[in-house]
Amino acid sequence: MAGSGTAHLRPDDEVLLRVEDLVVEFPAGRGRTVRAVSGVSFDLARGETLGIVGESGCGKSSAARALVQLPPPRSGSVRLDGLELTALRGEALRRTRRRLQMIFQDPISSLNPRRRVRDIVGEGPRVWQLPGDRVDEVLEAVGLDPATAAERRPHEFSGGQCQRISIARALILDPEVVICDEPVSALDVSVQAQILGLLEDLKDRYRLTLVFIAHDLAVVKNVSDRILVMYLGKVCELAPSADLISRPAHPYTRALIASIPGGGGLDLPPADTLISGEPPSPVDPPSGCRFRTRCPRAAPRCATEEPHIRQVGDDHWLACHFPVKE
Amino acid sequence: MIVLHRLARLLVVLVVVTFLSFVLLNLLPGDPVTQILGLSATEESRARLRQELGLDQPLLVRYLDWLGGLAGGDFGTSYITRMPVGAELAERLPVTLELLVAAQIVALGLAVPVGVAAARRAGRALDQALTALSFALLSTPVFVLGVLLILLFAVTWRVVPATGWTSLSVDLGWNLTSVVLPAVTLGCGQFAVYARLLRTDLIATLQEDYITLARARGLSPRRILWRHALRPSAITLITAVGLNLGALIGGTVIIETLFGLPGVGRLIVDSIFSRDYLTVQGGVVLISVGYVVVNFAVDLVYAAVDPRIRRA
Amino acid sequence: MRRRLGFGVWLAAGWIGLVLLAALLADFLPFARYDETLAGPPQSGPSAAHPFGTDGLGRDVLSRVVYGARVSLGVGLGAVLLGLGVGAPLGILAGYRRRATDAVIMAVNDVAQAFPALVFALAVVAFAGANLRNVLIVLGVLGVPSWVRLIRGATLSFAEREFVLAARVLGTRDRRILWREILPNVAVPAASYAFIGMAVVVVAEGSLAFLGLSVQAPTPTWGGLINEGRTLMETAPHVVLAPSVVMFLTVLSFNLVGDRLRALTDVREIGLEPVRAPAALPLPTPTHPVRDTLLQVEELRTHFVTPRGVVKAVDGVSFTLDRGRTLAIVGESGSGKSMLIRSVLGLLPGTSIRGGHVYLSGDDLTAYGPAEMRPVLGRRLGTVFQDPMTALNPVRTIGTQVMEPLRVHLRMSRRQARAEAVELLASVGIPDPVRMLRRYPHQLSGGMRQRVTIAMALSCRPDVLFADEPTTALDVTIQAQVLRLLHRLRAERDMAVVLVSHDLSVVAQWADEVIVMYAGKVVERGPAAEVFARPRMPYTESLLQAAPRLTDPVHHRLRVIPGRPPDLAHLPAGCAFHARCPYARERCELEPPPLSEDHHHPYACWYPRPGTTAEQDVRTTGADSRGR
Ligand code: SF4
Ligand code: SF4
Repeated sequence: MAGSGTAHLRPDDEVLLRVEDLVVEFPAGRGRTVRAVSGVSFDLARGETLGIVGESGCGKSSAARALVQLPPPRSGSVRLDGLELTALRGEALRRTRRRLQMIFQDPISSLNPRRRVRDIVGEGPRVWQLPGDRVDEVLEAVGLDPATAAERRPHEFSGGQCQRISIARALILDPEVVICDEPVSALDVSVQAQILGLLEDLKDRYRLTLVFIAHDLAVVKNVSDRILVMYLGKVCELAPSADLISRPAHPYTRALIASIPGGGGLDLPPADTLISGEPPSPVDPPSGCRFRTRCPRAAPRCATEEPHIRQVGDDHWLACHFPVKE
Repeated sequence: MIVLHRLARLLVVLVVVTFLSFVLLNLLPGDPVTQILGLSATEESRARLRQELGLDQPLLVRYLDWLGGLAGGDFGTSYITRMPVGAELAERLPVTLELLVAAQIVALGLAVPVGVAAARRAGRALDQALTALSFALLSTPVFVLGVLLILLFAVTWRVVPATGWTSLSVDLGWNLTSVVLPAVTLGCGQFAVYARLLRTDLIATLQEDYITLARARGLSPRRILWRHALRPSAITLITAVGLNLGALIGGTVIIETLFGLPGVGRLIVDSIFSRDYLTVQGGVVLISVGYVVVNFAVDLVYAAVDPRIRRA
Repeated sequence: MRRRLGFGVWLAAGWIGLVLLAALLADFLPFARYDETLAGPPQSGPSAAHPFGTDGLGRDVLSRVVYGARVSLGVGLGAVLLGLGVGAPLGILAGYRRRATDAVIMAVNDVAQAFPALVFALAVVAFAGANLRNVLIVLGVLGVPSWVRLIRGATLSFAEREFVLAARVLGTRDRRILWREILPNVAVPAASYAFIGMAVVVVAEGSLAFLGLSVQAPTPTWGGLINEGRTLMETAPHVVLAPSVVMFLTVLSFNLVGDRLRALTDVREIGLEPVRAPAALPLPTPTHPVRDTLLQVEELRTHFVTPRGVVKAVDGVSFTLDRGRTLAIVGESGSGKSMLIRSVLGLLPGTSIRGGHVYLSGDDLTAYGPAEMRPVLGRRLGTVFQDPMTALNPVRTIGTQVMEPLRVHLRMSRRQARAEAVELLASVGIPDPVRMLRRYPHQLSGGMRQRVTIAMALSCRPDVLFADEPTTALDVTIQAQVLRLLHRLRAERDMAVVLVSHDLSVVAQWADEVIVMYAGKVVERGPAAEVFARPRMPYTESLLQAAPRLTDPVHHRLRVIPGRPPDLAHLPAGCAFHARCPYARERCELEPPPLSEDHHHPYACWYPRPGTTAEQDVRTTGADSRGR
């Protein structure tokens, strides 16, 4: 796992968003560097939902923020409909923001406690000086009653409702791509189902292209057309959702599925035979394949040579020297 | 590494601060010559004295001269008294330091037990009493409190002398009686600040999961408070003590005036009035060195108290 | 966040207003001018004509105090505005821009703080003239560094929040972010500090006046009045007392208002022990036959008396548990599942009332006082919490913490405890336990910390282990390891486990029995496999269908439970779930359904599901697949 490469990218004219060799690093003090994302590539076709899954420290959130250039990645390319975002600065970059929106994990802290819902949702149109007042329409679309909700402040709402407000804030700009960074992980099961359903509805209604990031494989599978599995800043496996869950070929993907109680209906060996120990620090990642310190299949080659992404099935890609074939 | 870094910082702060104060003092109207010779002196004798004292040199030259002397441990010689400034400071500093240390002992000695007790039963009588008391103490200017204490203890009951100072080297007992009232006056206000800070932080700590878990492990409230909660709650308190010590090295002038103590603060005030620039400069050096040293000490204490701050 | 300011603050604000008004209108008030020598004898005490008496030169003290307020408040206001005007923009800039801007501003600030304030104040005032303007400027400038620090800190804490990031994602310009997102949030701490700053400046001005360095006579100032009055202390104490008291009250008022404003954004204030004994009537504690089980909970209730009403967090929960069994408690947030555990352990905040009984091997724990509970808590009931990041004391070594219960409860010697701790840490799968003893929590990963807390909970070999969401904060691969560990330890030590979780798949795999809670009540109970395969209560059913599963097809529509859980302070009559229940009928709104008599699999519902509709899937294998 833990591989680089761009073999899995589709031709430019088929995709809306294309991310190539993304590298995100930040200082960790004492001259050390956190290698959060190290050469990750993926793309999205218009109207597609790409799920990105991985455990904490795998770099999925850093990648999301690098997509919106907050902060810009250390290196690599992010192209939106052919426009290279990483080359833009200042006002030119700001002008692209409308097309790329984001929804955050913490519904409470992503809303300014001192502003009314109407101002929070209406902020985008005001910044962009869009004609017409669509606040009511969008609030309704996310399932809030404009008459009662618009004049209140965030602390009067539950977590699920706050997340709806966040979604409304992003949607009102008619973005092309919406990046959802763990949008449901702070919510209860019943509320989570509401928000997931809402996202699916809105996606159809507003013809959205989604990047859906989460640590819960079942949640990701529920909404995604394709799933990208990340580990310690690298890509492990990429495949259509059903295919990935029913035929995981990467040792890490298999461990992830086996660790979920119930095991996804697959007859996998017990999780403790598929993965051991704890993830290493992204400050000092292992050489070669970054998963090798926990991989039961690791061989000497895994320590010296980084696996490259290659195709193993119909639109099924992975980065491993010794994938599981069934 | 850290120490070197600190030392460099100390030097930078010292140079910048002393330079600024040098300029400031020279910008002020009036000069030592007039102070010494009086207004009626002839222009000629004034010029002679100015030359003698080196005051005819440009400002920067005088500053660098002085700085050079300082590097060799020489604080210069007072224009007015013609005495070495270093000796004067050395005589005054112990008074101020003793006062400070005694005041901190009073303040902390009261604040820690009271703060802990108040946090333990937040919202109840003792806590409310503490809150009221600390607000009252916080709102009483030190000169008002001092006057009040003098009136009570020195004038009415005659337990301690109202003013005056006996050095530690002369007589321990007298020294203590002369420091107790000033120290209490100074310590009271700080006690209020410290107790409130500690109480607030302790209350926050007591909400932490690890405290609930300590209770779930059947530990006694006393043990939880003193062994588990106190240390993680002490950071703000330490910061406050540090800031206070730093600020007070030259800031005890009110107390020194009120109680007639020959401390550094009084020396600086008197020197400013008599245009005794070099003595003031010496005081400034003491104050800024004190500030930086205290800051450094506070960092060390942080590290001792909270391992998360410690560098590997 | 919104709380009442309290009566005292209004009183303080009123006093500030009064002093301010008097100072402004001093020229029109019906008393002599401050420098007018009156006809009467000097130093006369308070009278109707001169409420504060007259001073040594026969001047009206009240008038002098009021005119003195002009200086004190004028300097205070001016200095605070100056400090705010200069310090706030710099602080916001430093906090929002970071990097170079921040470094430069803070370096200058540092030097400014190291510069002796006293020398600066004395020098300027002594030589530039002791007038109102100079005093004001000096005190204002001296306040700037603190303002910069404060505003920078506040800005930093908000600039990190996601709503600022969200604004940038929207394409909002920096200037607008500062004005609209950050400034309103910084305003509260700034306002609070403005009041405290007023108090500080008024005192500082007084000190300068006391040294004779503030506005000069004949203009009266508070500090000057006190200094003058000092000499008359024995003959005419009112001359020194009047300005002292007025000054004290004013400073006190500023401090009070400032403090309360700050408290608006502060944490809740609860101590280690109850605020007061609960005022409400004790809850009913009906008697029950005490059975021969390890843990028996009967009709346990936990209510909180709040300004909004009585919050029924736990409302009549009963269950029994035997050795070697795992009981899971599931529910969403606010269902009362965590409060139930705390209630059983008797670790409730002071504002709560508890009713019902908890029997441990037949002994009624609810009859125990805190001192009697301690040995039980440490030795017979073990506890693990959700977040391993906050569960360990950050300033104590792992060794001290693991050894503590051994030394306190089992009275082991240091050496014995050390050996035992090493063994414990090894038994929870920690590599190199000897070295671990000397490490601090922040040096460990989340999974390792949770193993340590488990080791601590098990140190005195408890009969029951309470695990409140023990793996929720952990990654899924680590979660599997920790759950497997708990399961192994349960068997090895023959204890019972109470596992609280919101994750149904975890519960299905690891629990023998399950309790489903909703709005503080048990709504369904039974063997885990059966409850998950054939839920009877509609809420349980909905919950199962609302959770996404790996085996569902892609884009599968999850069951949506509309609405949100009821307010525990205002529970609806009838079934608490009725507003969200698709099967609700009239009866559900009127009568609360009791837990059915069925001992094997009781549920609380008037119109239960047939118990055959739920998908037969992996969940049903739960209880017996736990060998994994
Ligand atoms: S087999 Fe080798 S390359 Fe593949 S995941 Fe394991 S360690 Fe990596
Ligand atoms: S009692 Fe009525 S409202 Fe309550 S769960 Fe049963 S059917 Fe639904």
